[in-house]
Amino acid sequence: MLQIYTSGATSGSFRGGKQKKGNVTSEQEEEEQPLQAVLVADSFNRRFFPISKDQPRALLPLGNVAMIDYTLEFLTSTGVQETFVFCCWMSNKIKDHLLKSKWCRPTSPNVVHIITSDLYRSLGDVLRDVDAKNLVRNDFILVYGDVVSNIDVSQALQEHRHRRKVDKNISVMTMVFKESSPGHKTRCEEDDVIVAMDSKSKRVLHYQKTQGLKKLQFPMNIFQHGSDEFEIRHDLLDCHISICSPQVAELFTDNFDYQTRNDFVRGILVNEEILGNQIHLYVTQDGYGARVSNLQMYDSVSLDMVRRWVYPLTPEANFTDQQGQGCTHSRHNVYRGAEVSLGHGSQMEENVLIGRDTSIGANCHISNSVIGNNCTIGDNVVLDRAHMWNNVHVSSNVEIHQSVVCDGAVVKEAVRLNKQCVLAYNVVIGPNLSLPEGTVVSMHHPEEEEEDDDDEFLSDDQEVGHSKDKTRQKAFNPAEVGPEGKGYIWKASMNDTEDEELAQCLWGLVLNPDPESDSESEASEESQDRTFQLEVLGTLQRGLEENIVCDNLVLEINSLKYAYNITLKEVMQILTRVVLEYPFQQQGTQLTTLQYTGSLLPLLKTWSPVFKNYIKRAQDHLDCLSAVEELFLEQDTHQTAMVKVLMKMYQLEILEEEAILKWFSTGATNDKSRQLRKNQGVMRRMSLWRKESEEDESSEEGECGR
Amino acid sequence: MELQAVLMAAGGGSRMMDLTYNTPKPLLPVGNKPLIWYPLNLLERVGFEEVIVITTKEVQKMISTDPKVKLDVKMKLDLVCIQEDADMGTADALRHIQQKVKTDVLVVSCDLITDAALHEVVDLFRAHNATLSMLMSKAHEFTETVPGQKGKKKTGEQRDFVGVDGTGKRLLFMANEADLDEGVVIRKSIMRKHPRMHIKTGLVDAHLYCLKKSVVDFLADNKSISSIRGELVPYLVRKQFSKSTNSPKVIDETHQNLKKNDSNISSRDEELLHLTQERSCWNDHRGDMSDAYHGGRLRCYVHIMDEGICYRVNTLAAYIEANRLAPKLFDEPAVHPSAVVSERCLIGADSIIGASCQISDKTSIKRSTIGVSTTVREKVKVTNSIIMHGVTIEEGCNIQGSVICSNAVIGRGADIKYCLVGSAQRIEPDAEVNITYHYKSITYNNCHKVSK
Repeated sequence: MLQIYTSGATSGSFRGGKQKKGNVTSEQEEEEQPLQAVLVADSFNRRFFPISKDQPRALLPLGNVAMIDYTLEFLTSTGVQETFVFCCWMSNKIKDHLLKSKWCRPTSPNVVHIITSDLYRSLGDVLRDVDAKNLVRNDFILVYGDVVSNIDVSQALQEHRHRRKVDKNISVMTMVFKESSPGHKTRCEEDDVIVAMDSKSKRVLHYQKTQGLKKLQFPMNIFQHGSDEFEIRHDLLDCHISICSPQVAELFTDNFDYQTRNDFVRGILVNEEILGNQIHLYVTQDGYGARVSNLQMYDSVSLDMVRRWVYPLTPEANFTDQQGQGCTHSRHNVYRGAEVSLGHGSQMEENVLIGRDTSIGANCHISNSVIGNNCTIGDNVVLDRAHMWNNVHVSSNVEIHQSVVCDGAVVKEAVRLNKQCVLAYNVVIGPNLSLPEGTVVSMHHPEEEEEDDDDEFLSDDQEVGHSKDKTRQKAFNPAEVGPEGKGYIWKASMNDTEDEELAQCLWGLVLNPDPESDSESEASEESQDRTFQLEVLGTLQRGLEENIVCDNLVLEINSLKYAYNITLKEVMQILTRVVLEYPFQQQGTQLTTLQYTGSLLPLLKTWSPVFKNYIKRAQDHLDCLSAVEELFLEQDTHQTAMVKVLMKMYQLEILEEEAILKWFSTGATNDKSRQLRKNQGVMRRMSLWRKESEEDESSEEGECGR
Repeated sequence: MELQAVLMAAGGGSRMMDLTYNTPKPLLPVGNKPLIWYPLNLLERVGFEEVIVITTKEVQKMISTDPKVKLDVKMKLDLVCIQEDADMGTADALRHIQQKVKTDVLVVSCDLITDAALHEVVDLFRAHNATLSMLMSKAHEFTETVPGQKGKKKTGEQRDFVGVDGTGKRLLFMANEADLDEGVVIRKSIMRKHPRMHIKTGLVDAHLYCLKKSVVDFLADNKSISSIRGELVPYLVRKQFSKSTNSPKVIDETHQNLKKNDSNISSRDEELLHLTQERSCWNDHRGDMSDAYHGGRLRCYVHIMDEGICYRVNTLAAYIEANRLAPKLFDEPAVHPSAVVSERCLIGADSIIGASCQISDKTSIKRSTIGVSTTVREKVKVTNSIIMHGVTIEEGCNIQGSVICSNAVIGRGADIKYCLVGSAQRIEPDAEVNITYHYKSITYNNCHKVSK
């Protein structure tokens, strides 16, 4: 029943419209039908530029094997019998690679069809084409060409089929996740998701990327599904493996605005009530699955591979079955290919993979690194987390830390590559140069890329060659790439964080287990006061500028009070503070005491009606005074001004004399405020007041005697 | 003394006014024992010797005088009265007795009927040196028909959302549906620390809390908090994850004050415990290497009962359900020895007959509770009903699915279905009262008698 096509057939209709779309086949047929997979060998983004200018991402070597081989091996081992590989960018290269690989041998259990089109711009386009060509007849697996995994999805598939049988095609997709706690190395910050699910049915209720969010919001309607147990999970790593029903392709056709799987998932969840489609998830605990979506991920996945987390896909397994790819595995995860020569005194500490025909000089120190085939490395070289591809030449006294060096690159004497540097194809660096962190060097000129921005996806090798000619005209900058260097510096990838730039940032965000995220905690209450204070300040400022009547100011402050839910007491304290700080606000903090009082006292006079509106009861007076005190405790250089302020407030009848006296006698709670009260000026004024009031009421005696 | 028990028995029972109109809630008979006996018994079973009972004057008076509400507990009861009309919340009550609180407290509500293993809650409290640990249970569906209600009551009540971590013990989130206009909002930092959060909705809070002493002290300083369940618990749950704010500082300070002022053994232990925690490599979570509890000092835990009985008798439906289940909770003879039961009558095994009852011939009693000193005459049929104390049921009555309050008199031949008869009411002979009559009219209004 299955027609086997010579692989390499390009786009075209594989099956005539013999079968109806998405028809429910009987169980028996289901068993007979081969498991299909759709492999998207294009990322539809430019994260790997400029590396992917010369080689499509799926063909980039990871552990000296092209990434697409991992994906195909994963699919085959999980039981896929028919794979459709969709290529767009540099499709010829991918086709050539696959034609040479074991997947295209007649014995391959997995029949690979290659479909190329220059018109694919997103995953959505690919799936719409799947629908148009009527390629899939049953549940299929959807992966990208850069997924590295050893997960056995057969159980997930079984669950998926079972759900579909029970619920009449309601479940359209089962996403595969791997459990890994936040901060895990292979978790990609950009891909971090939070998932709300129904604990019993494993149904996805809410799916959200968390990048840049501080608070996670879950709408109430997701909790209305009759179940009483939900789970919110942040310990999931998205493997970018999904088991899809045939409807998925149709849904992409129906919703022509769906571009990515993310669009699709969100769309399904939002329209769940209307369309009745559901998405489920499958969580594996011990499998390995990750998508190489940026260099950060490349770094971690590559190391995971060397550390054998992807077993049985290990470097020495040579699963691609290619001549000469074999290597030996010795302890501390050191792998050596054929004909590797190692100089005297060189150390391979741990997690090192060295490809065939590579020679390493003397006294080198290599750890956590992958070195490709036919490389030469000089003496006294330090490599840590270096990813070197094929035919790389490294001279002596070079240090490379967490960097990627592509095919044919040459690193000359005494060069130091700091973290997250990228040397793209055929770049020459040095000698005697230290590249700062995050430097990207390519033979392509960065501006050339802008020029052919429009037809970026129309990738023709010809065109690249053509543009190369153009760039030749521009000279290399020896200050950037060294006296003998060849290549152009691309924008340092780490410095730009704008949204637009992020798409081009090769390494992606660094995983910071940001401990500071705590500090945002419960800031809302505080900031509420703060914003209120700013609002009050703004109101008063405007009042001064536009000569607004105090009554109106009071009205505005009152409405602010309700808007921010501030108590009357706080309003008064904040008001006092704002007014007293007003001179500092306007003229800077370097005011002398004299200047301060000079500008403050008229203000007090202007705003006294506002004060009077809020300060009425005896307690209000005390609260106001304590606010004054608090402020002057902070501004200790201006303590002498306090007396004048108090005096003025008294004269303006904002504060009552009794309140001031009471505050003076009782309020001292700590050393500092006692100090404040001892202040000469304050003392004198107080005693003055005391006398006055004693004259008034002789009964007030010795209450504040000192 | 590790924990002091505090029993909150001052609630008015506002959600079942029909029953509490004459009898205060703590003294409502459930299985012929006052409601308050159940939590007291629970405490006594686990070995408490003393309990502070916060209650009203009225209840105190009745406990000391009324022989019908005999509390046969051996514990020492320290009755503290609060003003009934002061509208004090549970937190207010706790603040009221702050002087008496010397150690951590176990707060129980008087309407809790449960066979829960109390040690589970206390163990969580001890093991994690928690600030709060509480008991919750899966909500039960009430199956019995409630008097005065037509059909099944719709569960229009707002659900509580309770978030616990992967182990199901640590309490991470708590909110009522009514407050969640904008949906459930959770800070990412919490999800980082506890990447798996289970959100459960079908739970009832048993109103049983273990609280640190510092929390009681904190209450004394923060007079705005008036209810434990409504304000204090959500507050503590929220504060678990906020550093450098005022209130945990307050709690921290009181912790420190404790250490400074109090040189007794427990506080020295505390310090030692803290040191142990610091030095040990143990932590309470997987996935990262940070300190145990992520360095947080405020921790809330919850024990969720999967099975077993756990009822809060705060509605009529719960009251009826509790009466049905109460006999299973203690093993006493169903028929009190002092009751006079005629031999020619039928009493189901699931019924309870109280002390000095008189049950006459040809009577059938099924799935019912008959209170103390009740007289049941000939040819009476009682099914699925609760008859309180001192009720007289005349000949030939048929009572089904009803609640008859104390000292009521049911006239001969009356037919009562799904009704609630208020205390000291008289039902006319041959009256036929069923659900179609509004029960309130016969509950309170003495003059208004319903007859054929």
